[in-house]
Amino acid sequence: MADKLLVSISALQVSVASWRGGRLGACTVFENSEPGLESFKGHLERGPNLPAYVMVDAVEEDYRFESLPHSFGSDRTEMITRKLKQHYRSTPYCSARMQGRDPGKRRDDRYLFCALTNPELISGWLQAIVQRELAVAGIYLLPTVSAMLVEKLKLKQTNLLVVSIHGAGLRLSFFREQQLRISRLARIDGSAGEAIKNYAEEISNTRLYLHALRVMTLDEHLSVLIVDRADTLGGLEQAIGRDNPNIECRRLGKNEIISSLDITAPVLDSSSDALYLHVLGLRAPANNLAPANVTLGFRQHLLRRATYAASAVIALTALAWCAALLYQIFDSRAATESARRQTGELQARYQEATRQFPAAPTTAENLRHAVDVSQRIGATTRTPEIMMGVVGHALESNPAVVLKTFDWRYDTTEFAAAREAAAAPTTAPVFAPPPVTQAGAKRKESALIEGEVRPFRGDYRAAIDSINKFADALSQQPNVGEVKVAKLPLNISPGLTLSGSTTDTRDQAGKAEFVIVVQMKPPA
Amino acid sequence: MNAAELKALQAPLVILIIVLGLAAGLIYELDQMLTGSKRELGQQQAQMREARTRLQKSGEEKELIVRYLPNYQYLQRVGFVGDEQRLNWLEGLRLSNQEAQLFGVQYQIGSQQPYPYAAELNPGQLTIHQSIMKLSFQLLHEGDLMSFLTALGKQGAGFFAVNECKLNRLAAAGSIRYQPNLAAECDIAWITLRPAGPGDRK
Repeated sequence: MADKLLVSISALQVSVASWRGGRLGACTVFENSEPGLESFKGHLERGPNLPAYVMVDAVEEDYRFESLPHSFGSDRTEMITRKLKQHYRSTPYCSARMQGRDPGKRRDDRYLFCALTNPELISGWLQAIVQRELAVAGIYLLPTVSAMLVEKLKLKQTNLLVVSIHGAGLRLSFFREQQLRISRLARIDGSAGEAIKNYAEEISNTRLYLHALRVMTLDEHLSVLIVDRADTLGGLEQAIGRDNPNIECRRLGKNEIISSLDITAPVLDSSSDALYLHVLGLRAPANNLAPANVTLGFRQHLLRRATYAASAVIALTALAWCAALLYQIFDSRAATESARRQTGELQARYQEATRQFPAAPTTAENLRHAVDVSQRIGATTRTPEIMMGVVGHALESNPAVVLKTFDWRYDTTEFAAAREAAAAPTTAPVFAPPPVTQAGAKRKESALIEGEVRPFRGDYRAAIDSINKFADALSQQPNVGEVKVAKLPLNISPGLTLSGSTTDTRDQAGKAEFVIVVQMKPPA
Repeated sequence: MNAAELKALQAPLVILIIVLGLAAGLIYELDQMLTGSKRELGQQQAQMREARTRLQKSGEEKELIVRYLPNYQYLQRVGFVGDEQRLNWLEGLRLSNQEAQLFGVQYQIGSQQPYPYAAELNPGQLTIHQSIMKLSFQLLHEGDLMSFLTALGKQGAGFFAVNECKLNRLAAAGSIRYQPNLAAECDIAWITLRPAGPGDRK
């Protein structure tokens, strides 16, 4: 609960007390006069810089209970502002408080309008507070503060009249269903011997007054709470009971006040307003009479405090976050250190174990891979030997075929395509990079054989037969995959032009040359 | 909010901004430190797992070394493992030429390149390279080609694979008995293998 300065202003005196740590300090009382005001200023100068809550106990007050059409938002604000101006043209200290809805069909909103009708009563004192640059949190009428007392004492009576003695007189505040409806300050001389009797009469008159105002009927049951902070009203209960049988009285004595409200006896005795200042310190009521310009400083004070609070919350959150991060960092570093230590130990044990290993130039895996790779290369390399055997076997059964060129290759590329590429003009260097192997493409053993049929005397049919027989003999070999005759002595394709002369002699017949591409079966 | 209200809030707002900035900066810095720390922990744990696995497999490793070391040393001796031994290759060529009784061999060795069929061989952390050697020589008859290649293989000068061989019949230049009849051109790849990376145990 925030610290605050509590000020009670009445026509006779001004009581000031500070509220610290949820407890009210002793009240300092000043006479409501010029010298009193000067003393008050001096007191404020010496005191701390706290927001001021001002409570007023004066006869110049007004309470109006009205029903207004139900409305919302800006309409409601506008309507209430208009009503306040209409009722209280002469004072800036007024307020309106909604107190539920009418039970009728229209369900109108019920409002309690209240005001301090004599602003002069507090102007000097308020000015002193403002001059001291204290923020004015609010200005409250004492009966609205006593509503908090009813709430604090958990009084649930439907019709409750709270009676208390103040410096200015007898204060009578009527509550219907725990909500303030009306209050009045009766100036009764309490020093006279007939005080109790006068008080009882005033209470009886108040009952009639309430009836006249149609706040309650005479048949209704009324409860009276006598707040007797100084234990001076003994016998008042009986006096009231004698005259008004349907009034239930309860006196709240000094001890009960101390025990119920957690206020110390010296503080309670320090001023007649101490009890209500204590209640105001516990919680300020909603009926704040102070206009916006008066509470500007307090709003700024609240904003400053909220901003500082936000800074504190952010700082604390950040600290907590940082602490969590630091914990994780230390945890992670500890785990890293532990892992490093264990790695070192494992490596040392491994080094110890490797001392028994034979000296090796590289890791065991590399040894194994190197040997495996050498074996695989040995298994996958080829020489022309098998192809030469295949061709030699075919030549044995075809003596007319004479080889001119034998080109063997073990590669992934097709031989015919490679041959065409070789025939094309190129500027590539002698040692060009190896052809890019297609993923998964396997190398094949193939040969390109160029030869001719001898002797050849112009009999193309016989020459082509010989070449085909040679190709057939090649393809009969078990490890031959495919044999293609790429070129014959005579191209008899219908798509091409063919020319020659039948008068050519046998010597002029030319050569019966051919080209065959042999491809071995791929390795299993 | 007017200027006076803003002025009243100046100090708290400045403090709020400073606190926000400090908090954000501190949290960001610590978060970065945590990320780095976690990364370091991950790396260290991976190293620890590796060290543990290595220790657990040290028995197998010893068996592998005992089993494969002699063969590996042989491969080192023949020049398959390690740097290229071009002098050995040329010496092998010279000896093979003599042994196969050829008429001389012309050679041309290209620069070293990655072996294009390395992926088929699953070499692990080893890198395989090849250097293409183009050979030109003349033969008395076709059988000399295989005699030459067999002799070259037996020299122990290194590992090679024959990529291509082309034989061309030479025009008969008379009736001299001992003269070349065929011209041969071969491309052979000298293959070498080298352990890669700094993890090799010496």
